[in-house]
Amino acid sequence: MSAETSPRGGLRDLKKIFGGGSSNVRQFGILFSLIAIILLFQFLTNGLTLSSGNLINLVSQYSYILILAIGMVMVIIAGHIDLSVGSIAAFAGIVVATAMQEWNLPWPLAILLGLVVGALIGAWQGFWVAYIGVPAFIVTLAGMLIWRGGNQVIGNANTVPVPDGFTVIGSGYLPEVGPFTGYNNLTLLLGLVIAAAVVLVEWRARRVQKIMGSDPAPLWVSILKVVLLDAVVIYATVLFAGGRAGTSFPVSGIILGVLVLFYSFITRNTIFGRHVYAVGGNKLAAELSGVKSRRVNFLVMMNMSILASLAGMIFVARSVASGPQDGLSWELDAIAAVFIGGAAVSGGIGTVTGSIVGGLVMAVLNNGLQLLGVGADRVQIIKGLVLLIAVGVDVWNKSQGRPSLIGFLTRKSKTGEFPSEPPAVIPTSGTPDSARPSDNPS
Amino acid sequence: MSTDPIILEMRSITKEFPGVKALSNVSLTVRAGEIHAICGENGAGKSTLMKVLSGVYPYGTYSGDIVYQGEVMHFKDIRSSEAAGIAIIHQELALIPELSITENIFLGNEPTRWGAIDWITAKKTALDLLARVGLRDDPDTLIKNIGVGKQQLVEIAKALNKSVKVLILDEPTAALNEADSQHLLDLIRGLKGKGISSIMISHKLNEIEQVADSITIIRDGLTIETLDVVADGVNEDRIIRGMVGRSLESRFPDRTPHIGDVFFEVRNWNVQHPQVAERMVVKNSSLTVRKGEIVGIAGLMGAGRTELAMSIFGRSYGNFLSGTMFKDGKEIQLRNVAEAIDHGLAYVSEDRKALGLNLLDDIKRSIVSAKLTKISAGPVVNDSKEYAIAESYRTSLRIKTPSVDAGVNKLSGGNQQKVVLAKWMFTDPDLLILDEPTRGIDVGAKYEIYGIIQQLAAQGKGVILISSELPELLGLADRIYTVFEGAITDCIPAETADPETLMKSMTSARKKVQSI
Amino acid sequence: MRKLLTTTAIAAVALMALSGCSTRTDTTSGSSAAAGFPADSLIGVALPSKTSENWVLAGGLFEDGLKAAGFKGDVQYAGASTTVKDQQDQISAMVTKGAKVIIIGAADGGQLGTQAKAAHDAGAIVIAYDRLILNTDNVDYYVAYDNFKVGELQGQALLDGLKAKKPAGPYNIELFSGSSDDANAPVFFNGAMSVLQPKIDDGTLVVGSGQTDIKQTATAGWKAENAQSRMDSLLTSTYGAKAIDGVLSPNDTLARAIITSVKAAGKPIPVVTGQDSEAESVKSIMAGEQYSTINKDTRVLVAQAIDMAKVLQKGKTPEVNDTKSYDNGKKIVPAFLLPPVIVTKANAAEAYANDPKLSPLTK
Repeated sequence: MSAETSPRGGLRDLKKIFGGGSSNVRQFGILFSLIAIILLFQFLTNGLTLSSGNLINLVSQYSYILILAIGMVMVIIAGHIDLSVGSIAAFAGIVVATAMQEWNLPWPLAILLGLVVGALIGAWQGFWVAYIGVPAFIVTLAGMLIWRGGNQVIGNANTVPVPDGFTVIGSGYLPEVGPFTGYNNLTLLLGLVIAAAVVLVEWRARRVQKIMGSDPAPLWVSILKVVLLDAVVIYATVLFAGGRAGTSFPVSGIILGVLVLFYSFITRNTIFGRHVYAVGGNKLAAELSGVKSRRVNFLVMMNMSILASLAGMIFVARSVASGPQDGLSWELDAIAAVFIGGAAVSGGIGTVTGSIVGGLVMAVLNNGLQLLGVGADRVQIIKGLVLLIAVGVDVWNKSQGRPSLIGFLTRKSKTGEFPSEPPAVIPTSGTPDSARPSDNPS
Repeated sequence: MSTDPIILEMRSITKEFPGVKALSNVSLTVRAGEIHAICGENGAGKSTLMKVLSGVYPYGTYSGDIVYQGEVMHFKDIRSSEAAGIAIIHQELALIPELSITENIFLGNEPTRWGAIDWITAKKTALDLLARVGLRDDPDTLIKNIGVGKQQLVEIAKALNKSVKVLILDEPTAALNEADSQHLLDLIRGLKGKGISSIMISHKLNEIEQVADSITIIRDGLTIETLDVVADGVNEDRIIRGMVGRSLESRFPDRTPHIGDVFFEVRNWNVQHPQVAERMVVKNSSLTVRKGEIVGIAGLMGAGRTELAMSIFGRSYGNFLSGTMFKDGKEIQLRNVAEAIDHGLAYVSEDRKALGLNLLDDIKRSIVSAKLTKISAGPVVNDSKEYAIAESYRTSLRIKTPSVDAGVNKLSGGNQQKVVLAKWMFTDPDLLILDEPTRGIDVGAKYEIYGIIQQLAAQGKGVILISSELPELLGLADRIYTVFEGAITDCIPAETADPETLMKSMTSARKKVQSI
Repeated sequence: MRKLLTTTAIAAVALMALSGCSTRTDTTSGSSAAAGFPADSLIGVALPSKTSENWVLAGGLFEDGLKAAGFKGDVQYAGASTTVKDQQDQISAMVTKGAKVIIIGAADGGQLGTQAKAAHDAGAIVIAYDRLILNTDNVDYYVAYDNFKVGELQGQALLDGLKAKKPAGPYNIELFSGSSDDANAPVFFNGAMSVLQPKIDDGTLVVGSGQTDIKQTATAGWKAENAQSRMDSLLTSTYGAKAIDGVLSPNDTLARAIITSVKAAGKPIPVVTGQDSEAESVKSIMAGEQYSTINKDTRVLVAQAIDMAKVLQKGKTPEVNDTKSYDNGKKIVPAFLLPPVIVTKANAAEAYANDPKLSPLTK
């Protein structure tokens, strides 16, 4: 019996990168699409796509959209939407920039101020959504107008420059330390730490499976998985560390990485995370299980605004100034990333890592098309079609009652290994005595 | 009467759902211009039969013939049955609240002139139809602004507009007060005079006795008998005997109850409808539960059983008005579900899919979802513990699944219900309220769930069992409360209870509550 | 466990060895201007979104001109809704592709510091085209029409027009300026005010609404609808009874919006200035509605920018004619300024004689 309980096979194991839930298949498909798109552009741009400079650009150009996607996926899992993130980003950005310019606020305090502004805005919007019951679509549509207007009132529709120290979070890189190696030493170190962590995580997972009495996947699967993942990590490390002097892994990428780890953990491993899925999946059932759905909705909306203000500050830091156009249509990029990453419009489904992969699909697509010199007008058309097709294929597959192509392949490999139906332990009907629980009191 | 020509005949209708045979060889004969009642317990197959007749389950999804006006009919949807003159009026009215009476009557059937809706003709016809059903309201009135009783009449007017010959009414008076009910019954009798046959499903046996010409009784998907009200001298007792007459032997595991002291008590419980303030859904109800006792609650659909249970469970239904609650001798106040869980209450809802489970979740997460703190260190859920606990319930409750990682939507109804039971057993409750725990579940799984319920009682927990199936209550409960129109009408010890006495208390407020 | 670690370590070493070509060198690369670059190098041109005729025209001229000069051109427009971010990303992509010169018509000159730095660090030369890039050391040249001069000419044209219409003052006028996020807007405005302010002070000109501050007169986003709605309100609040004689408008699009507003209010059309020589405005001038425009021939400006790239390619320093006016907050940017020409109905035929599109309109 326990043989069926543990997933097997390289493909099925790799899917574990994305954690549990029934949306695995979908996200696995998106990961393959991402790899395919990267390889396609790598070919079309004669290797520019996976060059040091471009990878570094990619991370710093899209880190803030991906940060928004983290918050957005939680909002969408809970069954809401947030249209105001771009405006909140712009508002927090202008407040922070003005505070540093007018009051000479030191930049670390300014970042803190920006987060507080985000939290207050989030509390305001969360209050309307959770406690008054106004649909998030309306509340955040209002917020979209309010905070955009707020940006222009505070900044007089002007561009406000920010001091150099502050720009670290948007355009800073890991500094050069230690002896000259031809690479950025800190980036190398970071890469090695991640590579080691991959090994450690897999080893721990195997140990936990053993302790729980289920057979872990065969050792060669684990080794293959670790080698593949570490090969990617090390290849990326070498690229990031070997860029033009003065550049290395971007600070904004590190912020993003920390947030991805943190929020993956929150959504997967904490009571709060479970409650978010529960409220989005079936609000009534969640409430009847003792979940305080209003509190969950409030916190999810508030969290989104805090992340939006952080994204806004990173953009301002990268642009070395806060402007009236900051954050325009970011909400659409973030929402697209989340849906490409496998979330459901009706809520209850979605993962942080899936959304990051979805966001990367859009980012690589955008970047690759720009490298090819495709105009911004055509890029928009292509992005729109990709979003439609990605979600369309998924919906169509669901309505046909079969999983995506990748899911189909992995299912085949599974049924090849063992019967899809477990042997019946007890007959579903028949003589009542045989179905009687063994420890039945008499 | 019985010489009237036969207008409709359903011959040997059999309808199966995956794993369940809902109808088996059911036959029904309706004569022109008669009122034909269909009686049976909840889940006996009445609504399924009517859905077959009205084309909700199209031709080909059932076996047997529908012969209407001498022809075999192949209805492919509601529209085709309506076109033939068979209209169904559902328990939940199919009217659009924001549209006017006229607009609703002609919805999907609008009279047009050169492509535009001809409102003048529509309104004239509407006035005619309203006069026929005895409604004197302005046809421009919005549906939301008229009462449920009048809405019911609009539904009938809508059917009349389609020149109906057979009118199917599913629990037409369930939501109506006395006066409105009487008006509706008079109308149905009036239609009969105009040659329109009515098929009426109702739990209110007094009404059936009053208006029906013949009665077909269905039980467990089988036609039991068809009675001629006048010739057979039918009364309420006769109908009840037909509805519940079934042997109870060997359907329940053996059990010797070990009943302790009263540990849970509700006194003078009053609850209002959440939207309609003047409607009381629970009226001055009191009940007690002892340790190790299975307390049954019997009542017909809409009697207020679920409302009572949910309002006890952290006021999760309706507006709480007044009443006190005691547990282990101390008065407690449960203002929300979290507090109810903390005080050792558990509620397994009657609607597994809408209220019991998050169908997007997997088994292991569902099982621990009502008490995550039990397997968490601070805010962090311990995955290994979760897995181990889910595995232990999978084994002990025999949940049939290849893995606890599987989604609950992949499970059969019985196994889903076991997951829900596991979820609430995991909260380690003192009192479990089980609302229709075996609804839609096949016989084998039912037996297992009965075993689990008895086991819980044997552990000294109190169980409140709400069920529409009287045999289930009689087979499991130590004591049975009956509920009628929001009030507890009787409390009958299991030894002295039988289906007839229960059904009487469930259909009238004739007895005073005895407290035990 | 040990096996896993060993495998990983081997893989790591192997990959390092395989890809062991770091692109960085010990010394930071200086400006490559002195050395020049190959004649078929990539020249990037990043322009804002296609909101006015001039930008559309410029893009085409750059493509043809760069090709004719033997360069590989990469001309990009920002998308309409996300101009700043698009432009940032496009400039980054040009750097990645190894552009030697990047010519930037900034969507928002204040928000390109990081990209200018990246371009510079990669050895590319940054030329600000038409709009200055602010708050960065990493902009090498600025090529534009003399915008202060544009403002002066507009101010003078307004005075001339008023005098021609009515020999003596006082004249009722209103002032409009451009989008406050465009660094050029205050330059135009200040240029015009350098001519108008003395006349306002001596009472010849009367600003009816009293709105003379640039913040009050700004037109967000250079959008016609914003200018039109401001003019509507001014007419209602200030010019119910009295006539309006002249309006200072910073460009043609806004000038036409102002005229539309006046017409809608049923008032006689005042003297309205303009800029950019848009075809519609040239027609309007010939019809006697708009008074003046400025001819800043985009052909000349684009040709000048391409000439700079050609000089840089040979490793020489391009010619500049202003090394003190354009302080971007971090440095004084050496600029090459082209002289603008004022155009009224009187000299239109002469001014557009060489323009294939506008010349027929003046006949």
